[in-house]
Amino acid sequence: MERQIINKRKRVFSLQEKKNPKAVFARRYVNHLVPALSKINMNKPSSQINSKTFEQTVKHEVDMALALSAREFAWSRFLQHKLLSPPHEDPSYSPKILETSICKQDGTEGAEIKKKLEELQKLVPGGEEMNMEEILSEVGSYIVCLELQMIVLKSLVQDNIS
Amino acid sequence: MLESLVSLESMSLSSMDVSVLERLKWLQQQQQQQQQQQQQQVLSSTNASPELLQFHGTNNDELLQNTFSHFQMLRSGFGPNYSMGFGPSHEPMDGCISRTNSCQMDQADTVGVMLKNSEENIAFSLKSKRKSEVKTRAEEKTEKKIKVEAETESNMKVKSNLSNTEASSETSKQTSKGASEIQKLDYIHVRARRGQATDRHSLAERARREKISKKMKYLQDLVPGCNKVTGRAGMLDEIINYVQSLQRQVEFLSMKLAVLNPELELAMEDLSVKQFQAYFTNLPVLVASKPSLMVDAPLFPLDQQGSLDLSVINPNQATSIEAPSASWETQSQSLYNTSSLGFQY
Repeated sequence: MERQIINKRKRVFSLQEKKNPKAVFARRYVNHLVPALSKINMNKPSSQINSKTFEQTVKHEVDMALALSAREFAWSRFLQHKLLSPPHEDPSYSPKILETSICKQDGTEGAEIKKKLEELQKLVPGGEEMNMEEILSEVGSYIVCLELQMIVLKSLVQDNIS
Repeated sequence: MLESLVSLESMSLSSMDVSVLERLKWLQQQQQQQQQQQQQQVLSSTNASPELLQFHGTNNDELLQNTFSHFQMLRSGFGPNYSMGFGPSHEPMDGCISRTNSCQMDQADTVGVMLKNSEENIAFSLKSKRKSEVKTRAEEKTEKKIKVEAETESNMKVKSNLSNTEASSETSKQTSKGASEIQKLDYIHVRARRGQATDRHSLAERARREKISKKMKYLQDLVPGCNKVTGRAGMLDEIINYVQSLQRQVEFLSMKLAVLNPELELAMEDLSVKQFQAYFTNLPVLVASKPSLMVDAPLFPLDQQGSLDLSVINPNQATSIEAPSASWETQSQSLYNTSSLGFQY
């Protein structure tokens, strides 16, 4: 916990680069994404560039890289599962009912909060299966990993532009 | 002999008003109630009374040291056979010691309590791994600061125990005369504040709520701009917005990557260099660009959001990357090769 705080406040570069969790994530992510991208590059015929499916494939790989680089968290397992299973429409979409014991003193605010939590459930992969406390814990790690993912993607894009 | 101890304490209690004292006293009373039979068996032995009287007679420092060493032994080994020669009656003896210690004078008491607390923190963090001992010990220890444990423990039971004791540490400052009857033998271990309901459900609920608010505080640190908003709903709003914006940016970037993909030239060693380059240089950029993100957040429904962000971010990136990039690539190779990573601007 302290380590995380230190990492947030100032940049810590340890001798043991493998232990720093953000670096570990970044390394795993890149190690997965880049070969996947080059494989996509090689496999597809050149006519498919800029088509919808190509973008989808790339997005798929991007998400997969995220899911694989952050295995410690529950949301990554859900994401992985969702990516691996064939895409299906879920008409019977029923999010797990959040426990109503969010109850603050005013009832109206409780309803608002519940609505917001349901929205959050939809955003976080696997959120439908979590109750309130789990969501809150997963959201933190999800945000951090999203930020790291953005850094890596930006750098990949940037390097290829220049 | 027990009565003499009790009387001594009651005398000194009248002069003091320390809540810690009351709690300790209550705890030890409970313990002794449970182990009444053991005590009676042991107390029949003759070596009991002279030792106790000995402790009575010693001054504060010695008592302090005794409790300190007692807790040190706790830390070093569980189930210490304290050198007083008491086997089974170890626990009541501890209770007696700590009680008499806390009975003496104010300064010593607070210092002793502080010492005890710090020791207990360490002791408890070790103990949290051994549940069988936690059960008996949990009633002795009441003041904990175990945020670390609470965050990382995956076991729900221990989690509730830890968070409850943390809750109790927060409420320990307030007196809890009548409310202290909730001590249960299982893991839920929360002190009620004055004037609050003490039945099991409300305690559990309160523990849950405190856990949740702790998590919200952590999220507040994580999400930029959450400090200005108060209340759970507003914070949740901010969190949702932030997650949505991050996801949208990722989508946009992946689209861009898909566009650029054919021109990717990726040699692996270049990549590791560039990865670190990105990691090092983009971190400050990301921090700097966060204000721009937050400014754009109210314009959320706009669909040009993604491109707007990136156009704002790109100049930042360009300016910060261009300057060191030339020297960076030569340096970063060596950086990567050596094991020490120093951040050089």
